[in-house]
Amino acid sequence: MSVLLVIVTYLIFPGGLFVIVGSLAYEYADRKLIARFQNRVGPRWFQPLADLVKLLVKEEIVPAGVNRGLFIWLPAVALAAALAAAVYVPMAGLAPAWSFPGDVVCTVYLLMMMTLCIGLAGANTSDRFSIIGAVRALTQLFSYEAPFLLALLGPAVVSGSWRIAQINGYAQDHLWMIVTQPLGFLVALLGLMGKLELSPFDAPEAETEIVSGALTEYSGRGLAFFRLGRDIELFVGLTLIASFYLGGLANPLQFLVKTLALLFVTAGLQSLFARLRIDQTVGLWWRIGAILGLGQLLILIALKTAGVPL
Amino acid sequence: MIPETVTRALQPAGIRVIEAGDNNLKADVDAPSLPRVVTALKEARWGYLSAITGLDRTQLEAAAGDTETLARSFDVLYHFCRGASVLTIRVTVPRENPVLPSISGVLPSAVLQERELSETFGIEITNMPAHGRLLLSDDWPAGLYPMRKEHTPDFIHQKISELPHTEPSALPEEGPGKFVIPIGPQHPALKEPAHFELAVDGEIVTDVSLRLGYVHRGIEKAAESRTWIQSVYLVERICGICSHIHATAFVLGVEKLAGVSAPPRAQAIRTLFAEMERIHSHLLWLGVAAHQAGFDTLFMFSWRDRETIMDLLDQVSGNRVNYSVNVPGGVKYDIDQPRSDAIRRGMDALEPRIYHYLEIVTRDESFLRRTRGVGVFPRDQADSLGVVGPTARASGVLRDLRVESPYIAYGDFPVRPVYDDGCDLAARFVVRIKELFESCRLVRAILDALPSGDLRVDVPRRIPEGEAISRVEAPRGELFYYLRSAGGINPDRVKVRTPSLANWAYVLSVAVGLKLADIPMVIVGIDPCFSCNDRMTVLRPDGSRESVSWEQLVPPGAGRAGGCPE
Amino acid sequence: MIRIGSMLGDITRSLFRRPFTERYPFVVKPAPERTRGELLWESSKCTGCMLCVRDCPADAISVTVLDRAAKKFIFRYRTDRCIYCGQCVVSCKPGALSMSPAKWHFASTSKESFSIVHGEVPQQPASPPEK
Repeated sequence: MSVLLVIVTYLIFPGGLFVIVGSLAYEYADRKLIARFQNRVGPRWFQPLADLVKLLVKEEIVPAGVNRGLFIWLPAVALAAALAAAVYVPMAGLAPAWSFPGDVVCTVYLLMMMTLCIGLAGANTSDRFSIIGAVRALTQLFSYEAPFLLALLGPAVVSGSWRIAQINGYAQDHLWMIVTQPLGFLVALLGLMGKLELSPFDAPEAETEIVSGALTEYSGRGLAFFRLGRDIELFVGLTLIASFYLGGLANPLQFLVKTLALLFVTAGLQSLFARLRIDQTVGLWWRIGAILGLGQLLILIALKTAGVPL
Repeated sequence: MIPETVTRALQPAGIRVIEAGDNNLKADVDAPSLPRVVTALKEARWGYLSAITGLDRTQLEAAAGDTETLARSFDVLYHFCRGASVLTIRVTVPRENPVLPSISGVLPSAVLQERELSETFGIEITNMPAHGRLLLSDDWPAGLYPMRKEHTPDFIHQKISELPHTEPSALPEEGPGKFVIPIGPQHPALKEPAHFELAVDGEIVTDVSLRLGYVHRGIEKAAESRTWIQSVYLVERICGICSHIHATAFVLGVEKLAGVSAPPRAQAIRTLFAEMERIHSHLLWLGVAAHQAGFDTLFMFSWRDRETIMDLLDQVSGNRVNYSVNVPGGVKYDIDQPRSDAIRRGMDALEPRIYHYLEIVTRDESFLRRTRGVGVFPRDQADSLGVVGPTARASGVLRDLRVESPYIAYGDFPVRPVYDDGCDLAARFVVRIKELFESCRLVRAILDALPSGDLRVDVPRRIPEGEAISRVEAPRGELFYYLRSAGGINPDRVKVRTPSLANWAYVLSVAVGLKLADIPMVIVGIDPCFSCNDRMTVLRPDGSRESVSWEQLVPPGAGRAGGCPE
Repeated sequence: MIRIGSMLGDITRSLFRRPFTERYPFVVKPAPERTRGELLWESSKCTGCMLCVRDCPADAISVTVLDRAAKKFIFRYRTDRCIYCGQCVVSCKPGALSMSPAKWHFASTSKESFSIVHGEVPQQPASPPEK
């Protein structure tokens, strides 16, 4: 590809700027939907952008007793990882900007970087709330990550490939995998909510218990990067799940409709439940989540070996 | 009725017993005999210590021209209550050498009240464990006792302005294995400032301590420099959610002193407002509790429905909070037919929603996981620790002043009290929501049978000398008011003992061993009104500071004039 | 009754209803009739008894009697001190005081607007003309 095309693809569309703008738009949609579910008005369309700009112009206070380099660079690494993950998924319904065999695993790891960075950031400070938040974030990471990966492997197994582009293509040609692998879909969607610390899995940042969890000490640019990273992960995660389970993303219209539908469901799930305690989250995932994920995978393998067309 | 056993128990101590009639018994005891008398009472197993009131007799003596034995002295009143009966033991100490023996050896719960007394009046109480300040800030000047009459507000202001600036105290020392999480004074979990220190090990709480008093406003002292009418509005603002019940308790006391009683229509309207306030308070609590559990949807919906009752209160009284309905002698606002219909429509709209919330609270799995089996408080402990209000009723303790000692119009419109044997947090939710039903029923019953007549009787601006006690059932529990008049236009003493303080004992007793995430739920389960409380530094016995164990925090502790700013 | 997601009915219904929020200040609903807003004073009914001044918990009213028989008073009312309790309305036997539901938003950037004075301060006699 020519250099100009590369720059545009990675930095403007469908990577980089498009991802950022899209994720802000999805954050708005998420907050607006939750508000409407709760019979409230909700923010106006530019609210997430305004939040981002406001945070970027605020002073960044580095608390005493932290490793300064880690404190400043962890948010940047998290944001970079999230942006990098966007490169591999069929963003905007177009072919992924870069693709290689095994990139589904690579994407999952890139998405996981965010949580690791949050955990490290929380452990980096001497603030009690942050430490507890970090511990909870990492505990939650250990509980949902395995089932989530298993849920994403389901479509990979069925399509016989480890490339997201090929899985996407396979999903377009065959029956929607939400129908053939409903358990996997459930685990994947809930796993995404756990990864993003959305209610009811928001114990790591339980406002009424530990202020802001691991991000308590962050302000200004660091907080802006973490929040943006989280929005981008929402965007990328929804794209991934829609592409795998909702019959692939062939064009921008399908992309819009399917990811928004998923967002609708996610917003509904966020409004329906009380926050789970961290031990309840872990219990839930290790018992039900892991079993469902494993079970689904085993069923798929069995069916595939038996030669049932899926 | 005060049983024979009690009067006989007091006889051997050789004290003067004065029957004051109307379920009130008074006894004068001299200071050295006090522990003996209290021990005798404890063995007679009657009642609980409700409040300890200190009195500075200066104005009374000036008014009476009395210069003999009662001259230049402090009175300390110990109020023991059971149901409708109140036994008040009075001890007089001379001003030059105010020394009292502590009764905390016999009744460990009294220690907080005694600390308040010694701090605000400068009465030295012997045989108490070493302690720091309870109500007043750490840098309050020594020798300045706010409740003494000669320490006028101007004098206090002047003394404080001469203080040097002090640095705020640092966080507590952490021993090995002790990781302390400070919650407050500023924290998103707290609606009002307080300071909790939770020592945690992972997610399990191993130790808890509590320090209150951040919103202490000195209302009891302020009431002494305002007229009786002005003081109604002052005590109304102790709390936003229970403002009407505070004002009701106060004017009931004033009416007792003046020897008048408000006309039946006024009493019924007072009851109507009290029940509507209870509805408002419980709906507010439901939302706050849901928010603590992370269930924001329930929070938004219950507060949306709370708007119904607030608009009704606005329509009838003119304000959504601080209805200002009470005046000594009656009420200010009448209920006419259109407003009565509006209230009925409001109740019709609310009841299906309340039923829906009851279903959610008892059936929703995610919510039950946060409340079922959390903070279990068995009945005998609840009884002995002296918790009050819905917190006690959810543990099966039958304590409701509207039933035991009906006031205003509760005699004509009896309450069917709501109890539950669950003893855990889920039971507290159930009790409060069922009380909502009962309050709606009462509101309708009152509107159906509102007596006709005047709205108020005249009460002189100069209230005759005397003392009065009123005890009412606030949404959170028993509210205790002691009023004393010296025959003037200002109250001589207003003592307020609010219900939330009693319930802190419960929190501190169940906190250890709970998970960190359960602590906000347990705290919100008692429906705390932080501003109504004192500072109270309590640690388990192996803490490094002075330890007052939870057994000692029995019945309604030192009531303070504080209040919810909401 | 659903045991999981018991508020599903509520949230789906809310999607199709208008939000409950009142968009103040773009939408201002009239206050109920008894709302205790600004204090209104009718000089013709006032007798200068000063009960309102005595009973006010917030010291928000001051009355200066210029001529009781001719009903000339200066009535000064401080909206920032007033706690809108309505005691003065009840204390006033002739019924000269009432609280208006129309005006209850007093926020302002200057303190002068918080002090409302009724009645005229008598004029100073004119200074002698210059020579």
